[in-house]
Amino acid sequence: MSGKEVTIVVDGREIVASEGEMLHDAARKGDVEIPVFCYEPKLGDPVGACRMCLVEIEGIPKLQTSCSTPVRDGMVVHTRTEQVKHAQSAVVEFLLVNHPLDCPVCDKGGECPLQDITQGWGPGQSRVIDEKRHFPKPIELSPLVAIDRERCILCYRCVRFSQEIAEDEQLQLLERGDRTFVGTFDERPYVAPFHGNITDICPVGALTNYTYRFRARPWDIEQAGSVCTLCPSQCNVSFTVRDEKVKRVITRDNHEVDDGWICDRGRYGFEMFDAEERVCGPRLRGGETGWETAIESAAEGLRAAGGRVAAIVGDASNEEGYLVQRLLREALGSPHVDSRPSRGASREQIVRLAQPGLAAKVSDIDGADMVLVLGTDPLHSSPILDLRVRKAIRRNGAKLAVATERPTALDGGAEAIARYAPGEAAHFVAELASALGGAENVATPLADAVREAGDGASPAKVVVIWGERLARDGATDSLLALADALGLAATEGAGLLEIPDTTNARGLREAGCLPDAGPGLAEPNRAFGSQYDSKAQLDGKGTEEIREALESGELEGLVLFGVDPLRDFPDTPAWEAALTAANHLVVFSTFETATTAKADVVFPLETHAEKDGTVTHPDGRLQRVRPSAGRPDEVRSNIQVLAELSAALGHDTGIDSQPSAFAALRDAVPFYADIDDIGGQGIRWQETPAANAVPADDSASGSERAVGPGSPDTQRESAS
Amino acid sequence: MSPVDGAGTSSPDLPVDQAVTEGRVPGRREEEVPELHEVDCPPQLRERIEELMSRYPDRRSASIPALWAVQERYGWCTPEGIRQAAAVMRFTPAYLESVASFYDLLHTEPVGTHRVEVCTNISCWMRGADDLLAAFEAVAEGDDDVFVTGFECLGACDIAPMAAIGQRYYGPLEAAEAQTAIDQLKAGEEVLPEKALARRGLAGDAPSPGGAG
Amino acid sequence: MPHELEKRVLLAHAEDPALRTLEGYRRLASGYATQEKAYRELEQDEILKELEDSGLRGRGGAGFSMGKKASFLPRGDMAKYLCCNADESEPGAFKDRELMQRNPHQLIEGIAIAALAADAGHAFIFIRGEYAEQADILDAAVAEAYEAGYLGTNILGCHRDLELVVHRGAGAYICGEETALLDALEGKRGNPRLKPPFPAVQGLYGGPTLINNVETLSNVPHIVRHGAEWFKGFGTEQSPGTKVVSVSGGVRRPGNYEIELGIPTRELIYDLAGGPEPGHEIKAFYPGGSSSPVLTAAEGLDLPYSFEAMAEAGSMLGSGSIIVADDRVSIPHMALRTARFYHHESCGKCAPCREGTNWTVKMLERVVRGEATPMDLDIISSVQENIMGHCLCVLGDSMAMPVSAMVNKFREEFERVIEDAALDPHLVVQAPPETLGASV
Ligand SMILES: Cc1cc2nc3c(=O)[nH]c(=O)nc-3n(C[C@H](O)[C@H](O)[C@H](O)COP(=O)(O)O)c2cc1C
Ligand code: SF4
Ligand code: FES
Repeated sequence: MSGKEVTIVVDGREIVASEGEMLHDAARKGDVEIPVFCYEPKLGDPVGACRMCLVEIEGIPKLQTSCSTPVRDGMVVHTRTEQVKHAQSAVVEFLLVNHPLDCPVCDKGGECPLQDITQGWGPGQSRVIDEKRHFPKPIELSPLVAIDRERCILCYRCVRFSQEIAEDEQLQLLERGDRTFVGTFDERPYVAPFHGNITDICPVGALTNYTYRFRARPWDIEQAGSVCTLCPSQCNVSFTVRDEKVKRVITRDNHEVDDGWICDRGRYGFEMFDAEERVCGPRLRGGETGWETAIESAAEGLRAAGGRVAAIVGDASNEEGYLVQRLLREALGSPHVDSRPSRGASREQIVRLAQPGLAAKVSDIDGADMVLVLGTDPLHSSPILDLRVRKAIRRNGAKLAVATERPTALDGGAEAIARYAPGEAAHFVAELASALGGAENVATPLADAVREAGDGASPAKVVVIWGERLARDGATDSLLALADALGLAATEGAGLLEIPDTTNARGLREAGCLPDAGPGLAEPNRAFGSQYDSKAQLDGKGTEEIREALESGELEGLVLFGVDPLRDFPDTPAWEAALTAANHLVVFSTFETATTAKADVVFPLETHAEKDGTVTHPDGRLQRVRPSAGRPDEVRSNIQVLAELSAALGHDTGIDSQPSAFAALRDAVPFYADIDDIGGQGIRWQETPAANAVPADDSASGSERAVGPGSPDTQRESAS
Repeated sequence: MSPVDGAGTSSPDLPVDQAVTEGRVPGRREEEVPELHEVDCPPQLRERIEELMSRYPDRRSASIPALWAVQERYGWCTPEGIRQAAAVMRFTPAYLESVASFYDLLHTEPVGTHRVEVCTNISCWMRGADDLLAAFEAVAEGDDDVFVTGFECLGACDIAPMAAIGQRYYGPLEAAEAQTAIDQLKAGEEVLPEKALARRGLAGDAPSPGGAG
Repeated sequence: MPHELEKRVLLAHAEDPALRTLEGYRRLASGYATQEKAYRELEQDEILKELEDSGLRGRGGAGFSMGKKASFLPRGDMAKYLCCNADESEPGAFKDRELMQRNPHQLIEGIAIAALAADAGHAFIFIRGEYAEQADILDAAVAEAYEAGYLGTNILGCHRDLELVVHRGAGAYICGEETALLDALEGKRGNPRLKPPFPAVQGLYGGPTLINNVETLSNVPHIVRHGAEWFKGFGTEQSPGTKVVSVSGGVRRPGNYEIELGIPTRELIYDLAGGPEPGHEIKAFYPGGSSSPVLTAAEGLDLPYSFEAMAEAGSMLGSGSIIVADDRVSIPHMALRTARFYHHESCGKCAPCREGTNWTVKMLERVVRGEATPMDLDIISSVQENIMGHCLCVLGDSMAMPVSAMVNKFREEFERVIEDAALDPHLVVQAPPETLGASV
């Protein structure tokens, strides 16, 4: 799409559209609704199959499909003439010739495009008295999706999803003509990481979720827009809620985050919300107990530890993370807070990585000349980005280079692939940085691929998607050197995009859940002024040191919030020992786990469908997690519980609700200062004026930055 | 917390964790494409398909010829045969089955190896195609080696009513000839020599039946 | 001895089996002399001009000027392609079969010259899979042509290359539609594409592509050899040249006859094809294959057989295939056969064609079973209206046009059949009541 503005006239209305835009979309801008079935821009080029969108264009004798006709300046279009109405009602009638019209028993009933368009554009009554085609009634397309082929109107959407978006080429059209049906090879199940999306895009009740079949009708459900926090992708979703319970999860298109798709984990994971193992009330040493007792005992135990306590935060909102670190630092006077499986980048490095100029946003992937995937497999770690990268390659001709320990799902589309040995990440990234500077080394082939990307004229737009484990492997400085070598900071649409280990990693770091940084990535002493005197206290322990200190008895108490060390962290035996050694263990958890079994006090946590708060996407977008479903009776708001615990410890913050918690967070994080009404699509703090309030990168500027042996810069010198 | 890289994801048994691939074809999740060693494709078939792919600027163009090859090898496009072609061509079996099922001459269900297609379209119908088809079907009744089917216009209305017998055209045929034709076809003999299209001259050179010409 | 009404240009010497071989083609028809001349002496534009001036119209159905279409291809060094459409699957058409079977080299030479005009380096003959015999003949001829250096690299030492592949289809009429042909040739299901872009601009593998019918391309050597003026010496002003016409159905000598366009249709059907069986009359005929609206004998017999005359009469010359129905043929049953064909062949991509053909068949089946009312005839007509102009390609229209023509022109017969069938179900299966005895 050229973007040049053109003016067209639709039904007498002047509409300004961008050249090359499809007529259907342009008309919508002028509030002219043209009915469609097969057209779905998310799926790529139009196919013009259903013929529902026929319109009259002056100067062209035959009606044209508006879904596939790019607008031209001065185009005059009619969508309501007799000729058009006749065509539209004819198409609807044709689509119904073989459709069973079993709406009363159809899950789609009430939210079905075919139903709506039949109402709005179809013929009054049916003239069809002949036998319709028959297929076995709903059969398993996969363990999760049922297909009812009698309802299918052959719009091509689902098979295009399989072909053009997921690229698994498993879902196909079989046979021909009106015998055509949607199926898989040899009737095997359609198993793929994103296949649930076909149930969202099917315009009829042909593809439905087993998890939802007959669970609810449109008139007794509500849709609640929120965010999926099962992985760092933080896809925007809409919970279908009935009787306070989540019955279904569907997409809530956000081009800046998920492009309108979600993975099957996000879609079907909701069933865990009322799993057997759900912790539904406070526990005291294994037994149920009342809230007051629980809070009291927790406070007592922690007080007894006399500041020799630590906290580790996992799945938590920004507000929760912020409050936990205040609980530790203020109520308990301990600096030992972390939100990572193990010590990663230092505060100084995190600050450097956080500079707005270096940041790429998700949608930058679309326009990238080169996507460089370093030390992560998006399909595993941030699934939706796997689709985003495929789209960039397929539709926008982006090039891809991959450098990882193990093969990734994206390898198939890569121009260049490099594999490094475990533990070699830091070295490899340094080599890559210097190879980009012209040095000859193992990374040269990859570097060449990266250099060749782009038109050559302007500097190539490179988006580097990197996994947090690079930081744990000590590759942060090399990564920053790489960013310099690629001139990311200087190039519009280029930048670094981290795929962190945990779902709200960025938010928790920025909220202060780091051993060496307070809220807003401030130095702890700046954050908390006088209360820390000795260096030791200034410098909190990271997750691994916390473990060791618990074992050695240096630390006595531990607060775990939304994290299960025995499952989530490496070295389970060591954690077994540490948890056993802890005198006082307070665990906030959604589910019963081996860890809750060891706890003195267990507090139930809300799920992401129940809690109220914000999270921060790896690209800096603050998003709203809205309470969508009701919590089990005995479960209280996480924020409230933290407030009560803090109060019980003699430190009443007065923060006991999401609004007050967010207000406090915003005061504590200068670069969040302009985040006001987040709204449905979220706000990237880098795009607000307060962005310049992020701590300055006070390290030496890039060109002189030394990254130890094999420094790109020294090499560059020697090369020149 | 659920570290979603390295340490393994928090909810294990979800499809998201299933993709592992060494693939090299831009686009497409290669794990859906069978590896050669998984399908033990007969060498001749493999070489044939590779030769066919080499004829075209884009190997996808060899899909239909490759499916023809599979059908020649196995009598019809068996799932196994399709998987073998898929492995050689680096496409998903689903893709090739989808293509095969579109075309009338490619069979995705078992059929007899001796095939008779009787044209039942307008010109042949006018000249008795329905009886002819019935006659062939009667002869083939219960014989799994013979596959008789009515077919749309075969492009030989000049010899109506006609049939393609073993991929060769014959006509005008009479119902009484069905038995002989099928016997000859199965015996590998020349089928109804005097009815073979190949033997005919130009219509304009034929002795005129009455007056004109 | 051919009848004096026949003008054999494309079918010259076709009776001689030797014509099939390179040697025979050279000897009998001074074969490949024109390609040599074209490759050695002529510029791309000279050839294009000759073809355009000749007024040669496409013989595959649409009747579009071949030279014009070739000139639409953009210039430049992107890869360009030429596709010969040998899918010939329309009921009533069998002329391309004859041309390929009897004179394959004429087609190959035509392709070689057209490729020069289109600056195409890759050519394909897409031949329907059922034509296995003809495909074998083409394979042999193509091999000979490669052998003799008329195809391949550095042809005739003129530093031009042309690869020619004979590609066998697998049984789908829709693959004759030019964009479906491209998809099939790319190894996909043969679904038509949206137009624009047109193949001349963006066709096979996304490159500029010239698509022409077998007969169209077979004309090329003759035009380039004898010149546009010579070609225009045959036929009418708007339909220059000769045409191989397939005549079948209720005539005594069905077959292919090459005539000058514009001769009276009556002579074509009676004098060449022998007319109907003794004691029978012609009731109606399809003038241009099963896609053309049928004409009654009264309407059609005395029209000149030309693109323009057929168009004026509300029908079309199409691929030039006449199917004759004599007075024994039941038009409703013929309509059903016709509809069944298009229903079977609809690719299923667009709704009006997929469902319209299916619905029409079901209604016509009720008609011949006597389970319909005159009101159903109105619905049938209106459904044809609803199909026309609303489909992705013209396959849908190809059923709608003849079917609505039959329902409208033979309404009484439809009503009578409904009544009769209601009384005597036996009629349903066998119609016409007695089939024509095979002649020839
Ligand atoms: C449904 C359908 C079937 C067609 N079948 C054929 C065919 O079998 N052979 C052919 O040459 N053209 C066929 N055509 C016409 C082609 O689309 C195209 O117009 C033609 O091949 C162009 O060649 P020409 O200009 O030399 O006629 C068909 C068109 C349609 C819509
Ligand atoms: S199943 Fe649904 S999405 Fe797929 S083709 Fe049918 S109607 Fe379209
Ligand atoms: S929406 Fe335009 S043809 Fe289907």
